[in-house]
Amino acid sequence: MGQEGPSEETEVPVRGEYKTPGGKLVAVEFDVVDGRLHSVQVTGDFFLEPPEALERIAGALEGLPVRQATEELIAKQIRANLDDGVEMVGFSPEAVARAVRRAWS
Amino acid sequence: MSEQVVMRVEPDEAQARWRRYRWQLLYGEAFDPAMQMALDEVLTRRVGIGQRLPTLRFWEWTAPAVVIGRFQSLRNEVDQEMARQHDITVVRRITGGGAMLTEPGKVITYSIYAPPELVAGMSFVESYAFLDTWVIEALRSLGIDAWYQPINDITSAEGKIGGAAQARRFGAVLHHVTMAYDISPQKVVQVLRIGREKLSDKGIRSAERRVAPLRQQTNLPRETITERMLEVFATRHGLEEGRLQPEEIAEAEELVRTKFGTYEWTAILP
Repeated sequence: MGQEGPSEETEVPVRGEYKTPGGKLVAVEFDVVDGRLHSVQVTGDFFLEPPEALERIAGALEGLPVRQATEELIAKQIRANLDDGVEMVGFSPEAVARAVRRAWS
Repeated sequence: MSEQVVMRVEPDEAQARWRRYRWQLLYGEAFDPAMQMALDEVLTRRVGIGQRLPTLRFWEWTAPAVVIGRFQSLRNEVDQEMARQHDITVVRRITGGGAMLTEPGKVITYSIYAPPELVAGMSFVESYAFLDTWVIEALRSLGIDAWYQPINDITSAEGKIGGAAQARRFGAVLHHVTMAYDISPQKVVQVLRIGREKLSDKGIRSAERRVAPLRQQTNLPRETITERMLEVFATRHGLEEGRLQPEEIAEAEELVRTKFGTYEWTAILP
């Protein structure tokens, strides 16, 4: 079956953004290697405590299959990777997931 | 990740909490952009370990700067070539939030360094408005129709006046705000990249129209506004003249050398 749309390998990073209504913007940038997210960077004008949790959010996305990962699954993956006490203000695991889907759809 | 538990805090009870502390004022001395970032970290740490009383600091700038948020991508937020042409230093702060342009005498910037108990039981969103209630009162008393727009904007019918950012770190709360006094909205859009997605829920068409500097809304000199702010803070919460300690300045200078003045920090998210 012929696959329409983007191939599963990127030459330059792809980028998607999502702004939570009444909240903040989150941008996700990544390469796709063998159909999976690679070198993920999560940025934006959101608030996050502690700041080191940013690496846990980006890390949760590493290796996810770009085609199969639904928003729900991506958000679940992020949630599972965060310790208790992490505060995401103005964005959410779901907002990050939407930015990922927008980068690759 | 935790779901935030929010207790009901009565506004009057909460506002009365300010009076539990002897607030110190730091005012007047100008610093360069990297030093401003470093002082915020040093003073937050000092309040956190009880070596400094809770403090209100008004900033004066020696040079123009673009200050980006802790989690922003440097190249996506700043036109670095344009910043160079305008002789604008780019620095990264320790709080989240968005990029802003500052110039000496053209913004009003202040920081609050407080014990966490001041905002205990409040959500982040509630604490933003709570910590700036005195500012809204001061602006309104000068005839500026300002209000708080959650999460962290001070705004008016004419447009956005300024933004707050907060960090809860080192055992203390850092809350700082920059308000545009006479910043040129045209320059803002030249130096900062403000994307369409960011404006998607703002109901306005252009980034230029987002900013409404105070001078455009009132003919008052900048000093009149800051003096009124100090009066209102002093009346509501009490305020004593304080001063920066030599060891605080030395510690901040060291942080400029090892962190805030380095490209590694500014480009930590390239």
